[in-house]
Amino acid sequence: MSYPPKLSEIISLFESLPDPEKRDTLIVFAGNAGNQVPRSGERFDLEDVRKDEECTDTVGIFLRVNPDNSSHFRVSLGPQVQTLTKAMTSILCKGLEGVSPQELLDVPADFVPKIVGADLVRQRSQTVYYILTRMKSAARVWLNRQRAINAAASV
Amino acid sequence: MIDPNYAHPEALVTTEWVATHLNEPNSRLVESNEDILLYGTGHIPGAVHIDWRADLQDQTMRDYISPEAFAELCSRNGITKNTTVVFYGDKSNWWSCYALWAFCLFGHENVKIMDGGRDKWIAENRPLTREVPNYPRTEYPVPAKRLDDEIRAFFEQALKQSQEKKPLIDVRSPGEFKGEVTHMPEYPQEGVLRGGHIPGAKSFPWKRAANDDATFRSAEQLKAIYEREAGLDPNGETVVYCRIGERSSHTWFVLTYLLGHKKVRNYDGSWTEWGNRVRAPIEKG
Repeated sequence: MSYPPKLSEIISLFESLPDPEKRDTLIVFAGNAGNQVPRSGERFDLEDVRKDEECTDTVGIFLRVNPDNSSHFRVSLGPQVQTLTKAMTSILCKGLEGVSPQELLDVPADFVPKIVGADLVRQRSQTVYYILTRMKSAARVWLNRQRAINAAASV
Repeated sequence: MIDPNYAHPEALVTTEWVATHLNEPNSRLVESNEDILLYGTGHIPGAVHIDWRADLQDQTMRDYISPEAFAELCSRNGITKNTTVVFYGDKSNWWSCYALWAFCLFGHENVKIMDGGRDKWIAENRPLTREVPNYPRTEYPVPAKRLDDEIRAFFEQALKQSQEKKPLIDVRSPGEFKGEVTHMPEYPQEGVLRGGHIPGAKSFPWKRAANDDATFRSAEQLKAIYEREAGLDPNGETVVYCRIGERSSHTWFVLTYLLGHKKVRNYDGSWTEWGNRVRAPIEKG
């Protein structure tokens, strides 16, 4: 299956880089993770803030689904979150911007090694997939809610 | 200030000392972290990066690098046999203690820890840089051997220590010791099939040796914990362990350098070996 266009661009960028530059680029993305936090006045359809065992600090996932079914994510990260998690946050917020919740659920996770490299996946298997899993979880909850609303409306 | 009552106060340096000795020609600052990418986000000026996985461990077998690989690691980082290597890192210096212990495995004697580690340096608003230093290559002599027999314990030795009821110190969290979880809080429960501890081991979590700012507790406080409460004999044989050997490196450093215990060995196979080993005896609770 193909990836959303913005994510494809990021994957292509990383695939073109040798390992040292791949790490440098991850660090650049990590530096932008602070820009993904919810802004003052923003409204969301779903907010899921929690501390899981899979991550070293609290992570908040904020999802808004627009009338055209496009989704918009914001993510808040606790101070102890690792650099790789920060990088994946930034990459996923950018790469998945505008996809529908169902499209997000359909995105295969096999792009992650293409971005971070097989070594980092092996060493940090939980970390590299964690944010994607949380975003998918939020999309799944939103879809289930919508189905319930639609079912109630059709009765 | 470093407590002068430590057995080897020279093995610890303050952030202030590091700040004023950044350009010492015969010393090398080494950052070792759990966070794989952290060094690249900024580090103390002049510090080189030594990664516990990529640089210190054999990439095929679960073991440390060979003496030849260690000599190459030091040579490419501009370290000579006489260089004073000052380690610091994240996570209350777990990984810097681990790297220090690994250097000791190869007989490198001039080693120090920056008390408080990376977090203290940053909390004091001291400078960081992303510039990676490039030191002239040295020719570090290949160590004659790895000191596995002196400061490292293997499964059989940890088992013997247990059977002979000699001191075994489990430095993991209380939940891991009791067998309620197989990894420290906030980390994934992965990689170990059984929970609990080595029979006879005493629970002394590594954190007891550290203050809230990641600096080490005073000599008197450490003696109270490890000698009076745990009953460790400075001249006796002690084995410390955790999950993969990093937290126990922290305690190994405390016992060996701060309290001057003579025969402390780090069981680096630790719980990921013991808890997976068929028929290894386990105590719970």
